[in-house]
Amino acid sequence: MPAVSVSHLAKAYGDVVAVKDVTFDVEKGEVFALLGPNGAGKTTTIEILEGFRDRTSGAVQTLGVDPSDRATQRWLRSRIGVVLQELAVEPFYSVRQVLTRNAGYYPSPRPVDEVIELIGLRDKADDRVKMLSGGQQRRLDVGLGIIGNPELLFLDEPTTGLDPSGRRASWDLIRELAASGTTVLLTTHYMDEVEALADKVAVLSKAEIVASGTPTSIGGRDTGTVTIRFNLPEGVSVSDIPGPDPIVEDGIVRISTDQELHVLHELTGWAIEHGYALPGLAVTRVSLEDIYLHLTRTDA
Amino acid sequence: MSTTATSPTSGSFQGVGDLKLIVRQVRYEQLSFWLNPIGAIFTIGFSTVFLLIFESTAGKSTVASLGGIRLIQYYVPGFIAYGIMASCFSILSITIVNRREMGLLKRLRLSPAPTWILMSAIFLNTAIVCVIQIVLMLGVGRAYGVHGPADWIPFLLAVVVGMFGFTALGMGVSTLVPNADAAGPVINIVFFVVLAFSGLYYPIPPGSTLANITDYLPVRRLIVSLQDSFNHIPGTSPWAWHDLGVVAIWGVVGVVLTLRRWQWAPRRG
Repeated sequence: MPAVSVSHLAKAYGDVVAVKDVTFDVEKGEVFALLGPNGAGKTTTIEILEGFRDRTSGAVQTLGVDPSDRATQRWLRSRIGVVLQELAVEPFYSVRQVLTRNAGYYPSPRPVDEVIELIGLRDKADDRVKMLSGGQQRRLDVGLGIIGNPELLFLDEPTTGLDPSGRRASWDLIRELAASGTTVLLTTHYMDEVEALADKVAVLSKAEIVASGTPTSIGGRDTGTVTIRFNLPEGVSVSDIPGPDPIVEDGIVRISTDQELHVLHELTGWAIEHGYALPGLAVTRVSLEDIYLHLTRTDA
Repeated sequence: MSTTATSPTSGSFQGVGDLKLIVRQVRYEQLSFWLNPIGAIFTIGFSTVFLLIFESTAGKSTVASLGGIRLIQYYVPGFIAYGIMASCFSILSITIVNRREMGLLKRLRLSPAPTWILMSAIFLNTAIVCVIQIVLMLGVGRAYGVHGPADWIPFLLAVVVGMFGFTALGMGVSTLVPNADAAGPVINIVFFVVLAFSGLYYPIPPGSTLANITDYLPVRRLIVSLQDSFNHIPGTSPWAWHDLGVVAIWGVVGVVLTLRRWQWAPRRG
């Protein structure tokens, strides 16, 4: 049984359609990313999965129960963790106090000191929340998400507002949680976050899923055009270079092809024959960002 | 990962554990209140200081329309009513709007703690703040030679009905305020204007035009019901059922507003 199962989910606020015909599964232990621009329906989708919002139509199961079912909502909420998109922590409590308070809501929470250690706030444990920096408050927010020792963790743009080292620390924490068996469903704008963390990704645009798959294969990324690039050797003109339609800009040669093995074979054979080193030789597949921009642009 | 039973269980009441959770939640509500000492002192001290000022200026004046009771006797139950209304209505509704807009209500909603536990804790915390104010104001009254209440049981009944009624109304009104910036000005201006016309600062003779208008509002009704039980006023019963009934009706209005309009998520954006 998947940790999350969504089938033809739709949600409308009056005439405004927030999500329509959204279908995906999240397997247990998986890190699943919902990627999409602002207003695409990511937060609405996870709020429905959390049981925070009711759906208009479609079928949804979170940890095997309907999250809108009031009868099992308490059971469900004791097994999920949520990191909200925006900071929501009382300013006057200390880090330890707010974590201890929230730990008391759960049947088998993580030890408070362990969470403080995990989120890297040991030195700030007795500081008031209002004295923490924005990044530290964000980490506390993550701590509140995991204090209940959740089977399923929802992270709504968890690293927004963090500096690079804070982001890396959050990634490490998410990897650690995933490795211990926690299922993670995250929303994000960051492609590198998806590539670093996600086992599977779905792209939401204008309320619909426009593509889904693994970060390396989504949108035909693993089979599409690649770019071969190298510095133009001295004394060589563009017409000498083998391969389909090479382009030279600022001394750099670019060849776009979906037959990279053949082109590379021909190119390297030519270089060896003529004694060229082909400095800067690189083969790059289309980036996740390119795919994302393409998917969200064509849908616009 | 959680190691507790994995089969879904239904229901939102878990017996003694839930009662302990309420006590725990009240403790954290109180902690949050006292961790902001300026806010706490202002909340609790304002009504007491207010009463001290009015008592010190009352002199030996009497209130002819209330059987000739001394003005200092008149002010004590009136300001006790003010303390109840300030805590349960204005401060509570502003706090709720702020918590909603900060996302704190949403976070609590997403925790396993049931709504009724969270709401009970908020009410009990407010009640504790009320009781502290009432004790302080009774102490101020004693200092000025005002010994009351004359009838404790109807007085306590009026306090309890006032706390429930104005808490419900405060929660209901919080749903009408769109954002945190508007909360303080909107709620306080309305509150203080109604207080002024309901007889907090000066006695309003029963049957006067102003009394006839403000009789429809819960503010004057709570002041009158506490007045009747606190002071032996000739021709009135300490059991102000009619006045408490009006307070309760406004409380029901608050409940209806809350049930129809309550939002856990911030309204901004």
